[in-house]
Amino acid sequence: MAELKYDAGAEGGATDDLPAPVIGEHPGPAREPAAADLLARARALLDAHPVADGHSGLSRALRPLSWFDLELGESAVDTDVPRLREGRVGALFWALHLPDGMTGDRAVGATLDQLDLVRTVVRAHPDGLRLAGAPGPVTDVRHSGRTAVLPGPAAAVALGDSLGILRCLHGLGLRALTLTGVSWAGETGLTRFGEEVLREMNRLGVLADLSGAGPDTVRRACAVSKAPVLCTRSAARALRPHPANLPDDLLTALGAAKGLCMVPLTAEQTGPSVRDVADHLDHVRALAGADCVGLSGTYDTGSAHPQDLADVSGYPRLVAELLRRDWSETDIAQLTWGNVQRVLREADFAAREAQRRRAPSTATITDLDG
Amino acid sequence: MTSLETARDLLREFPVVDGHNDLPWALREQVRYDIAARDIAADQSAHLHTDIPRLRAGGVGAQFWSVYVRSDYAGDQAVSATLEQIDCVRQLLARHPADLRPALTAADMEAARAEGRIASLMGAEGGHSIAESLATLRALYALGVRYMTLTHNDNIAWADSATDEPGVGGLSAFGREVVREMNREGMLVDLSHVAATTMRDALDTTAAPVIFSHSSSRAVCDHPRNIPDDVLERLPANGGVAMVTFVPKFVLQAAVDWTAAADENMRAHGFHHLDTTAEAMKVHRAFEESNPRPVATVATVADHLDHMREVAGIDHLGIGGDYDGTAFTPEGLNDVTGYPNLIAELLDRGWSRTDLAKLTWRNAVRVLGAAEDVARDLQATRGPSNATLAELDA
Repeated sequence: MAELKYDAGAEGGATDDLPAPVIGEHPGPAREPAAADLLARARALLDAHPVADGHSGLSRALRPLSWFDLELGESAVDTDVPRLREGRVGALFWALHLPDGMTGDRAVGATLDQLDLVRTVVRAHPDGLRLAGAPGPVTDVRHSGRTAVLPGPAAAVALGDSLGILRCLHGLGLRALTLTGVSWAGETGLTRFGEEVLREMNRLGVLADLSGAGPDTVRRACAVSKAPVLCTRSAARALRPHPANLPDDLLTALGAAKGLCMVPLTAEQTGPSVRDVADHLDHVRALAGADCVGLSGTYDTGSAHPQDLADVSGYPRLVAELLRRDWSETDIAQLTWGNVQRVLREADFAAREAQRRRAPSTATITDLDG
Repeated sequence: MTSLETARDLLREFPVVDGHNDLPWALREQVRYDIAARDIAADQSAHLHTDIPRLRAGGVGAQFWSVYVRSDYAGDQAVSATLEQIDCVRQLLARHPADLRPALTAADMEAARAEGRIASLMGAEGGHSIAESLATLRALYALGVRYMTLTHNDNIAWADSATDEPGVGGLSAFGREVVREMNREGMLVDLSHVAATTMRDALDTTAAPVIFSHSSSRAVCDHPRNIPDDVLERLPANGGVAMVTFVPKFVLQAAVDWTAAADENMRAHGFHHLDTTAEAMKVHRAFEESNPRPVATVATVADHLDHMREVAGIDHLGIGGDYDGTAFTPEGLNDVTGYPNLIAELLDRGWSRTDLAKLTWRNAVRVLGAAEDVARDLQATRGPSNATLAELDA
C-alpha cells in the first residue's frame, strides 16, 4: 500500500495534496489530454496506415458456432467487422487451423474445409471483408473501407507431400504456409524436397511462415527463398522464453534476409500488458530493423491477450504506446502496414520472375528424399 | 462430297463436345505427370489415344478431361489424388494455351469455338473424390470441376454404383443433399456409372439438367453401365443429355460376354480386372489369342444413338468417348481422330445437319448453361450446405 501511495505521489497526482492545488491541477489535466491525444494521433496514423494482421484464428473459432453475424458484431469471437473497423485492421492473414496431430491425406481434406469456410464467411460479409492476395488488390480492398482477407498460413501437412496439391491450394487462395511438422521441414532443417517445396512456393507466390520452425529450417529458408519469409507469430525469446519466440541471433538473421517478424499480442508470448508487447516490438525493431517487424493479433486462437488488447479493436492503444515511446510515424507506418505490403510486393515480383524461369515442379518426395 | 467430307465440314462448324477423356490418369500412370515426357503437342499414338494433333483431326472442340481417381482410394486419399489430377489438367492448359482453352462456362465454350481452340473442362469421376464433404465439393468446383459422376465402379456410402451390389438403394439422404449442393454450385450431376436406382433418385432430386458423360443404351446392349429406357424417357422433362460411349465391352453384347470371361481369367491369375500394368496386359493378351475379341464398329455405336434418339429425343444426345480410359476401342473409333467416322455413319443413316450439330455441340453446351442458370437462382435463395453424412444418414 505504502509503495502504491508513494508511486502515485511520485507521478505528481496525489489527490490529498490540497495545499498545492495549482501544481496538482497541472499534471492531472495535462496528463489526461496527453493520453487522449496520443490515442487520437494513433487513430489518425492508423487511418492512413492500417494494420495488416499476421494471424487470425477466426476459422477455428467460428467452426463450432451454428450461427454468427460478423457484420453487426459477434460477441462469441474476438473479431468482427465493427471491431476490425475500430481497430483499423486493413488486412488479415486468416490461418487455416488443423486439429493437432492430423496428418497425411486427412490434413488435405481438412484444409479444403477450412479454405471453404474462409471463402464462405468472406462472401457472406461483402461490405466488410474481401479476399485478396496480391499487393495491389489488398490495397484496393483497404481503400474501399474493407478488410482484405489473405487465406493462410496453412500447416505444411496440408500439402500431403505433393506439389500438385500445393498448386491447387494456391489456386483456392492460399497465401502462406508454415514450414514445420513434416518430414521435409523438421528439427534438422529442410530436406531436398523441403527446398523444392519452398522454390515452388516462391514460383506461386505463397509466403513461407517460419513461426515454430526449427532454427535450421529458419536459416535455410532465409537462404533458399527468393521472396521474403515471415514469422507470423513470433516475439523475442530474450524477453520471454516461448518456443515460437525467436532468439536474438535468428532475429538478426531474419532482418538480414529482409524477412518479417510479426509479433503476437498474446499474454503467453509477449506478456500481460500493452507495455510488454511494446517491449517486444522495441527489441525486434532493434535487432531485425524497422523494415522487418510487424503485428500479429493472434485473436480467436484460444490464447489469452494482454490487458487492453482483448480483441481486434485494440490496435490504436498499442500504437499510442509506441508514440509515447517516440517511435517515428514512419516506423509505425511500416510496422502496421508498409512492411507487409513490401513482403507481398517482393513475393509477387519473385513469383513472376520464377514463372519465367521455371516450369511447375513435378518432383516428388520419393524422388528427392528417398 | 462423301459422307466423311460432309462430316468433317460439319465438325468444323459444330465440333464435338466429348464428355469423358482419361488422359490425366494415363499421364499419372505412365509418366507420373511429367507432361514433357508425353508431349501432347506431338503425336503420342504409341502411348495414348489422345494428343492435340489427333483431337484437331477428330474435330473435337470441347473436352471434359476426367480427373478420375481409383475408387479403391479410401477417404481423403481420393481427395488428394483428385487435386493432383486437377493440377495435371491445369498444367496441360498452361503448357498449350494456343490449343487448349480453360473453360468454366457455356460462354467460355462458345468463345473457344469462335477462337478455334479446344474448350477444356474438368469432370470428377466418382463421389469418393469429395470424401463425404460438401466443402470439398465446393473446392473442386472452385478449381474448375464442372461435373461429378456420383459413383465410379464401387458403391459409396451415399450412392449405389451400377457395377456393385445394391447398397443404400439409390441415393441416401446425404446423397440427395450432394445433388442439391451440386445444383447450387452449378456443377453438373453425371449419372454414368451409377445404378439405375441412383439415376432415378437423382432425377427426382435435381433442379438442373443431368448428364451421362459416357453411357450408352441398355436396351441395345444389356450392360449395367448403360442407361435403361425408362431413364432415357425422363431426359426431355429434365433437359439433360446422354453422351454415348464407345467402350466395346459396354456397347456390343458379344463383347460384354467376352469381357466377363476375360475378367474371370484375370482374377484367376491374381490380377484386378482393370489392371493395365505390363504383367496384367500380358495375361490379357494370352487370353485374347485363344479367344478372339469381338470387334465393335462405328455402326454398333450408331445403333445406340438411333435407339437413344427414339427414346430421349434429338435434344438429349451427346458423345463421351472414354478415350484413354479403356483398353479397347471400336473399329473406326480407334482414337480421338475417329469422331468424323461416326458422324459420317449417322449422315448415311439420314441424320440431318441440324440433328448432328445438336449431337456434337449444341446439347452439351446448352446443359452447362442451364446448370449455371439454376445455380444463380438457387444461390439467391440459399447459402452453402454444410450438412454431413452423419447428420443425414444416421
